[in-house]
Amino acid sequence: MKTIVLLSDAKNPVSGRAQLSRLEAQAIGLAASLDEAPQGLHVGPGEEGVTAGLGHGLTGLDVVAAPDGEDPLPALSAFLNDALAGDAPPALILCGRRGEGGLETGLVPYLLAEALGLPILADAVAVRPGDAPGTLVVDQAMAKGARRRITVRLPVIVTVHPLSPPPPPFAFARMRRGEIRRHAAAASEMPITAADPTGSSPAAEAAAGERPHRARPKLMRTAGTASGGANLHVGPEPEEAARLILAYLEDNGIRRYVRA
Amino acid sequence: MSRPRRDPRAERAIRTVEAHGRPRLDFGRRETRPVSGRARRDPWREWAASLTGESDAGPERKRYDRSQRQMNRGDAARFARARDTLDATDVSPGQPALRMIEEPAFLVFAVVEAAGGRLSRFDRQVLGGARLLADAGDADGAVVAVASQSAEGLGEAGADRVLLMPRAAMSSGRSEALQAAVEMLSPRYVLFAEDGDGADCARRLSVALGEPLFANVEHLTVRQAVRAIRNAGAEIGLVPPRLMTLGEDRAKPYEAVPCEAREIDGEAMVAPADSAILSVEIIPGDPAKLALSETDFVVSAGNGVEDFDAFRDLAAAMKGTPGASRVVCDAGLMPRQAQVGASGTVLAADCYLALGISGAPQHLQGIAGCEHVIAVNTDLHAAMIERAGLAIVQDAQLVMPALLKLLKERTA
Repeated sequence: MKTIVLLSDAKNPVSGRAQLSRLEAQAIGLAASLDEAPQGLHVGPGEEGVTAGLGHGLTGLDVVAAPDGEDPLPALSAFLNDALAGDAPPALILCGRRGEGGLETGLVPYLLAEALGLPILADAVAVRPGDAPGTLVVDQAMAKGARRRITVRLPVIVTVHPLSPPPPPFAFARMRRGEIRRHAAAASEMPITAADPTGSSPAAEAAAGERPHRARPKLMRTAGTASGGANLHVGPEPEEAARLILAYLEDNGIRRYVRA
Repeated sequence: MSRPRRDPRAERAIRTVEAHGRPRLDFGRRETRPVSGRARRDPWREWAASLTGESDAGPERKRYDRSQRQMNRGDAARFARARDTLDATDVSPGQPALRMIEEPAFLVFAVVEAAGGRLSRFDRQVLGGARLLADAGDADGAVVAVASQSAEGLGEAGADRVLLMPRAAMSSGRSEALQAAVEMLSPRYVLFAEDGDGADCARRLSVALGEPLFANVEHLTVRQAVRAIRNAGAEIGLVPPRLMTLGEDRAKPYEAVPCEAREIDGEAMVAPADSAILSVEIIPGDPAKLALSETDFVVSAGNGVEDFDAFRDLAAAMKGTPGASRVVCDAGLMPRQAQVGASGTVLAADCYLALGISGAPQHLQGIAGCEHVIAVNTDLHAAMIERAGLAIVQDAQLVMPALLKLLKERTA
């Protein structure tokens, strides 16, 4: 199935150099397991960071030129609309949870899903083709190691969770072999039908006072509850100790040990 | 843990008797003491609270919890429950036992996951952040915990009201039900966790309502919400907007007087199904195969454990992930991936069962985030015994077969 991976304009937080976001590299790994020739799509001013995606397994990369700081949504939506209407429409669109390097709200996949009228699934850790043709099975990560296995009809937009398999190794020759197709910014011709709710907000937010980032300390993970004294047992019989441990686990709702 | 501060001048004024000439004082007069309103620590009560493990058996050595942890309201209530002579208001006098807000001036939604009917650490932080926004200024706002299932301890975590959403298999259904609730009750703020389903739901709601989302807030006060942009190269600070997602470990959980957590009715909200979704199946995590950083219950072995076959059987029978201390991993008795502590894995589990681990500082760092700790150790004065919520001073080699036997009896 034809797969497109959306790539953002990530920067190294220390050096400020353009780089490929790790989550998007993981998305490329997932795409490569489904499609022999996964394609990348990037909207932005440069391509020096995202070309590394070719080295990680993309065979082609579409770069739509856009000025720095402009909302990528109209260009993305116009490009994907054309692709979906074309003769080889993409079945799966993969992206990270939050695009990096911009305002990082994580809204782009959702707004894109709204504009294209596609379903969206978040936090995928594994994808495989479904039993019926035109379906996809997505494993969503949930808390405490649980997974939600969803069968969905294609085409679909899927965002990738950090617990998905690590990215495929980088190969320089593969990056050189990959094809980069550059497109001029022709986004403004195509009006988006769905109202873009945050259309005015990025500019408004930027005007509201962008300033250098100040790292703020996180809360410390301190010790939990004090014992309170009632729960120290010196030298109980082992059977009594075992009973106490199971009672404590069941009282606090951690595990239930009942007849299967 | 406080008593009102005395005001000697006011006391003197009360005791002064009307007289001609020389001032006269009536020392027998005992009236209500005027207080200056400042809370004062009561070291005697704190000392009594730190007394642990006393027994009626006889003149055994007294043990104190010297960790100087501030006792929060929930702990105080638990402490008071364990002692018949004290009640909850004794431990923190001058405060009501339950905080009620009858006519809230505005509502703050806190969307919590409450997986398995238990509030996670992150859920408590979201409720704490919502409480902070609700207590702004003089107006009494109410925090509405929005959850798909009822959870224990919502009141103690700061929820005035609880709104139960219909159980939807997919977050698209959940977000539509949430949108209906937002339109019905029109809260001033809606706060989500930037994690899992909460983050997904927040974005769906933002698109559906056509309102901007302030994602991954790093610093939240009543006046300002700040978040990082451009790969942490810049930040923006705004007056808190309506839709926000909170980053992990960014807001303090609420620890004052418990709130009432009254259930309110959501009017027949039905979660519609998404037509593109063909089937949904939830696969619970297998604790034996999970990574230590992802699991919720760890059964861990230290130097006090010799029989590792029995230990592995026990971990499997208890449905926990096996862990180990550094000594055991260095000896090659358990794989290195199983090591808990500063040089191994720092856990995010709910519960930790330490068998024969004395609790080196580096090991305790690894379990700092665990809410419940059970320690089995022969040394009464081990650091792990002091840290534990249930401490058993007994040989782990004797307790393990007893536990296995009891589990077999229960599940057979």
